[in-house]
Amino acid sequence: MTADAGRSTRAGSETDEGSLPSRQQQAWEAFAVCAVRLIPVLKAQMTSVTQETERAAIDLLAHLRVLASEDAAVTAEDKSGSLSKVVMAMQFQDITRQKLEHVGQALDQWNLHLQALMRGPNDEDAKREIAALQRIEQSYTMEEERRLHASAVTFEYQDSIPTDVVDGEAEPDSVTLF
Amino acid sequence: MSKTALVVDDSPTMRQMVAFTLTNAGFTVVEAEHGKDAVRKVSDGGKMDIVVTDLNMPEMDGITLIKELRKLAAFKFTPILMLTTESAMEKKQAGKAAGATGWIVKPFNPEVLLKTIAKVMPA
Repeated sequence: MTADAGRSTRAGSETDEGSLPSRQQQAWEAFAVCAVRLIPVLKAQMTSVTQETERAAIDLLAHLRVLASEDAAVTAEDKSGSLSKVVMAMQFQDITRQKLEHVGQALDQWNLHLQALMRGPNDEDAKREIAALQRIEQSYTMEEERRLHASAVTFEYQDSIPTDVVDGEAEPDSVTLF
Repeated sequence: MSKTALVVDDSPTMRQMVAFTLTNAGFTVVEAEHGKDAVRKVSDGGKMDIVVTDLNMPEMDGITLIKELRKLAAFKFTPILMLTTESAMEKKQAGKAAGATGWIVKPFNPEVLLKTIAKVMPA
């Protein structure tokens, strides 16, 4: 999206040749800056969903093999352990659903912002929408999302963002008793 | 007589995973889709031995649910575990202030969930 595109949406509606184009151009440029910052973030969040589903599918297959095994070497304890792992792996659906919902919320906000820009030089509206777009990290509920966001905003667009969960990070102190 | 658990989560997958784990351990499970649904399901004065609730839910979130349950005599001392993907310290503090007994971060390990329940439930 460019500042020129922004100007073309409101051609002929200006009364102040000096300040309005400049304000509108600034609004579009601010949006462009925000978009350039957010695209890698959303891409990283979606990549992590793909990795999460793939990891869960592989885990499920491995543990289903143990559960279905008729090998005498596979003990009841092995099977019980695999059943627990199946329950853990199945939870990928809840985790990926939340991540995709947060990506969807960011895109909805993006859409609102674009609509505000296309309505013309509504500076207050545009400022409000861009501020909301810049706060998408507040919608996150997982540490992994926050970590990915922080990584993505510091990477160049073409760089590969590390989205894999680091070994040992999957179960940080998962239980807190008050 | 089997123990009764109230499981509250807007994700049907999660509800079923928790219910599966608890049912296998001998619990009778009552499921609710969100906080309001949970409050409705205990409004007849029924007691639960344990409550396991999600945090982020439509209609009524987990923190509000805990506050509502703590107002009821039958739930004054019932252990309530928050089971959520959220692990931020300020959220945990809010849970503690509302009256949560403990906080478990998803994805949960069934063995860990059962051990935690055993720890917080009166013998």
